[in-house]
Amino acid sequence: MYPFLYQRPTSLDDALKSFRSADDACYLAGGQTLLPVMKQRLAMPSDVIDLASIGELRGFTVAQDRLSIGAMTSHAVVAQAAEIKSCIPGLSHLAGTIGDPHVRNRGTLGGSIANNDPAADYPAALVALDAVIHTDRREIAAADFFKELFETALEGDELVVRVEFPLPQKSAYIKFPNPASRYAMVGVFAAVVSGAARLAATGARSCVFRLHQMEQALDKNFDAAALAGHSLSAEGLTVDMHASAEYRAHLIGVLARRAVDAANGRGSGS
Amino acid sequence: MPVLNTRVNGKTVQKEIKPTTLLVAFLRDGMGLTGTHVGCDTSQCGACVVHVDGVAVKSCTMLALQAEGADIQTIEDLAGDDGTLHPVQQAFQKHHALQCGFCTPGMIMASVALLSANPRPSPAQIRHGLEGNICRCTGYQNIVNAVLDASGQLGG
Amino acid sequence: MNRVKIGQSVPRVEDQRFVTGRGRYIDDIDFPDQAHGMALRSPHAHARILSVDLSEAQNLSGVLFCFSGQDWADEGFGPLPTKSAVRTNSDGTDFKEPPRSCMAVDRARHVGEIVAFVVAETRATAIAALELIVVDYDPLDAITDPVAALQPGAVQIWDDIPNNLCIDWDLGDKTATDDAFARADHVVCLDLINNRVTAAPIEPRGAIAQYHTDSDTYTLHNATQNIHANRDIFATNVLHIANENLHHLAPDVGGGFGAKNGAYPEPALVLYAARKVGRPVKWINDRSESFLSDTHGRDQVSRVELALKGDGTFLALRTDSIGNLGSHCATVGPFTISGGSARTQGGPYGFEAMHYRGRGVFTNVALIDPYRGAGRPEASYQTERIIEYAARKLGFDPVELRRKNLIPPERLPLKTAMGLDVDCGNFPHVFEQTLAMTNRRSYGDRVTKSAASGNARGFAISPYLECTGGSPKEFVKIDFRADGQVDMSVGSQSTGMGHETALPQILASQLGLPLSDITFTQADTNATPLGGGHGGSRGLELGGNAVFQVANAIVVAGKSVAGHIFDLPADQVEFADGRFFVPDSNHNLSIREVIDASLDADHLPDTIDPQCMNRNSTFERGIISIPNGCHAAEVEVDLETGRVTIDGYWVVDDFGTIINPMLADGQVMGGIAQGIGQALLEDIKYDPQSGQLLSGSFLDYAMPRADHIPTMEIGYYEGAPTKKNPLGVKGAGEAGCVGAPPAIVNAVLDALQEFAVDHLDMPLTSEKVWQAVKGNVAK
Repeated sequence: MYPFLYQRPTSLDDALKSFRSADDACYLAGGQTLLPVMKQRLAMPSDVIDLASIGELRGFTVAQDRLSIGAMTSHAVVAQAAEIKSCIPGLSHLAGTIGDPHVRNRGTLGGSIANNDPAADYPAALVALDAVIHTDRREIAAADFFKELFETALEGDELVVRVEFPLPQKSAYIKFPNPASRYAMVGVFAAVVSGAARLAATGARSCVFRLHQMEQALDKNFDAAALAGHSLSAEGLTVDMHASAEYRAHLIGVLARRAVDAANGRGSGS
Repeated sequence: MPVLNTRVNGKTVQKEIKPTTLLVAFLRDGMGLTGTHVGCDTSQCGACVVHVDGVAVKSCTMLALQAEGADIQTIEDLAGDDGTLHPVQQAFQKHHALQCGFCTPGMIMASVALLSANPRPSPAQIRHGLEGNICRCTGYQNIVNAVLDASGQLGG
Repeated sequence: MNRVKIGQSVPRVEDQRFVTGRGRYIDDIDFPDQAHGMALRSPHAHARILSVDLSEAQNLSGVLFCFSGQDWADEGFGPLPTKSAVRTNSDGTDFKEPPRSCMAVDRARHVGEIVAFVVAETRATAIAALELIVVDYDPLDAITDPVAALQPGAVQIWDDIPNNLCIDWDLGDKTATDDAFARADHVVCLDLINNRVTAAPIEPRGAIAQYHTDSDTYTLHNATQNIHANRDIFATNVLHIANENLHHLAPDVGGGFGAKNGAYPEPALVLYAARKVGRPVKWINDRSESFLSDTHGRDQVSRVELALKGDGTFLALRTDSIGNLGSHCATVGPFTISGGSARTQGGPYGFEAMHYRGRGVFTNVALIDPYRGAGRPEASYQTERIIEYAARKLGFDPVELRRKNLIPPERLPLKTAMGLDVDCGNFPHVFEQTLAMTNRRSYGDRVTKSAASGNARGFAISPYLECTGGSPKEFVKIDFRADGQVDMSVGSQSTGMGHETALPQILASQLGLPLSDITFTQADTNATPLGGGHGGSRGLELGGNAVFQVANAIVVAGKSVAGHIFDLPADQVEFADGRFFVPDSNHNLSIREVIDASLDADHLPDTIDPQCMNRNSTFERGIISIPNGCHAAEVEVDLETGRVTIDGYWVVDDFGTIINPMLADGQVMGGIAQGIGQALLEDIKYDPQSGQLLSGSFLDYAMPRADHIPTMEIGYYEGAPTKKNPLGVKGAGEAGCVGAPPAIVNAVLDALQEFAVDHLDMPLTSEKVWQAVKGNVAK
């Protein structure tokens, strides 16, 4: 690792101040992506601003129609909390598929979405669930938040404070993991939010995306059978040593059906 | 240099460290606790798993300074003061759940954490729960048996 | 644990330190005033090195010493030689061995080859210094495919080695094989690839060198499996010093599987560096460096042909295999593609004739050396795949076809068409014993159940026959101490296999001593004058028999001591259950009493040496042993995604005498897991154009995890202990890895029968299987 100054502010304001006064700062959430990158000497921030002591970034609350999760909430908490499991089972299931148990104990919701890895799981949930990202200065709809490969709508110093999820009628996530890294080779999140079917896929392009045609087919009848005959073009999908674009396109179709089944209470995934 | 205040295996520790120091380096080089191992550089193998405030973490993917005020437990502290092995350690020996022993400290710490979250896991839950730990020697079967035994599910 | 016997599952004594975090591996060792070394590795697969500028690195505060490949060459150090037992081509000419310098001098030939080395006060400083080294490379075209490398006009790795051909070797009776093919009713032919994999022991390689100015000698702590042989290479071949001036020892080693067998450059570099800086120098590989610089395994492209009679009787087997050696010959190097892969061709089946041709080829990738099995897994895969293929093509039941052709016990002993001395075993019995474990009667129900959920189920049975190998001599020394402790020093080495328990278990069982009295030392050139280390499943065959032999010698010596005490001739003294006695008398002493008497020089006559019970022994193998057995697997394929799940795994092994069944189980299960890894997950992949390693970390190289591996049921056949060695052991370490890949691949192909998939190359990734289901494979 290249040398850096470590800071651990106790308030949002202090975190922002520290960030702005540094040459080239970065925020440290759970560190499960940032630290490996720094270890490989692929990043050399002047300052690392640890968000662990900022109380308002932690915890979650369930209101009548919303679930609000603090940015520094670990994947393990989202996976295990009974309240989350009961109100958005697909989200809870998704959190339990990220990395491995040790990664889930450290990795956070805010860290994951701010990084926007193309194979990360959370972006699929946020987009499919029509979540709203609350930052230190504004609210951003998930649809507008995830921009491109490792790029989000966040400004340089902007901090995710919490994410609010409208409570869906149904939700499920099915992941086809890369057998080596356990990231999503492809993952599909299926939900019914305010009566509308919403599907989002991760792992298959440079950034999370919705499956609009399949959503339309499901709007009339939220049943996997409605997806029969629907396929996705392989054009523009990711190709790497683990899977071709064609295979990813195919998997999206399979996983979409399985996710809808799971959202309807058939099979695992929710 | 910043000062780290933490507890390691029940003892209060106050030490000046460089910010770049990973928790695993602090434990191994700073504290001489070489039971925690480094088997990779991409946070995959799990040989470095320790407990921080009671949960399993990869100590290669955490800055030592992130453990400020935390309670850290390593493999060296798992046996009782009189040397009595922890039930998971006993079960690993009894079931030949280790060969070269290099992944073993991480594997045992992961198994202890797994059992504290789920005291009676099924074999499938054990296999899933150990997905963050790679063993190249055993083929995992004896590890699964050891965890089952430590949870009192093997009878005899 | 006190009285122990051979055949008992004695828990491991070494576990006490491993489960408590008190193992002592190379990175756990630090010497006062120790410096740290790091290697700068070539980022190019093939490039001329025009210049290496170390000046900025040298000027970095905390840097002690930097050197380039040219600096190394200027010192006059020798290259690392290959010790391949096969060294001549079929035409009688010598094979080609290019010089394997510990550092690239004017040309780098694979990504990861060492170009410069830095020694600094800390590892962090050494890493920072690496970034300051400026190397001017002139990149050259690279080639990674061994078949393409043989073609005229291909990129030349070595200017004086035409067509990149290291060795072209054959074994067997070519004429008889050709004749058998000419008169066969059926001939089938299959092209297959045995994928390149890496052993990936979880402990990366590392070493610490010390130079002792007073005596002009060196000490090298090294995470290696072969202390004596590699000591000789580093001393004699590289440094040009006397062997005895290098004390070579291994601490606890975190797995090896063959990848820590050979002599590597880095330990030689730290030996040199330690002398230059006058301080101990430690080097530990990163995992990323391990992927680039550990020797890899397998990587063969083969054509296999089988000739059969109309009734399915095998006539002849012909294999032509091209092995990708990487850029140089490693320590065992071209042996794997030649003798290593040839010997066990044909497995446990009868053939009139066999012929094997192996060619070793240089390319711009990392070196090949033994990986668990080193040729026998390749031979088993070639044999079992062509049999399965023949059965499908010709309409034979794969189980029946195998059953029909297994060598019956009454034909043993025999010499196979490959010259392998198969002395004993009962292959049909082992086959039926395995089949009986697999619940075949309810198989149809399971197929139906799988089909109902959109899955296809497949089964395969896969007998194997392999052989031991490795160094043919082993040494053991026993010292009885006056305080009651027994020191055992052996030249064989465990890197996790449990010798620290199994070898004392043999001594304790033979002498009736408590296991806890025995202190075990291995892997130390000062402790034993010779040692064969680890490799070729030789631990019990060599080390175990050396212990067995020395125990007998101790008993003989003890009889003379006891005879003196009893005042009777030694030949009237008998020994059993730890006691020396004269039958029908009250003369009866425990071995401990006799040992104590033997150490009491004052009360011994001149004719008895007071050290007479402290014995050493060298055991020499006559003929290699033949472990054999049978694997069977049942798999389920998700036809929508191509994902393979292993639903049942059974194996019966004939390892001869089983010393410690629990440890044998461990060897079998670990080997199977590695075989499953190769069959389904693992793949060392290079970009064919650039020669860059694509699967260079655990993020891209899929290691088997707990949820990839099924529950394995293990049985043994103990009816045929070998007479080739006194213990009757046949070697257990590699067998799992030999039998598993064909069992898995054949089971998957069985599941895919309705899709007319004839063959798939490993690893059977989900996409590969899905493409096959879709019809996207060559028929």
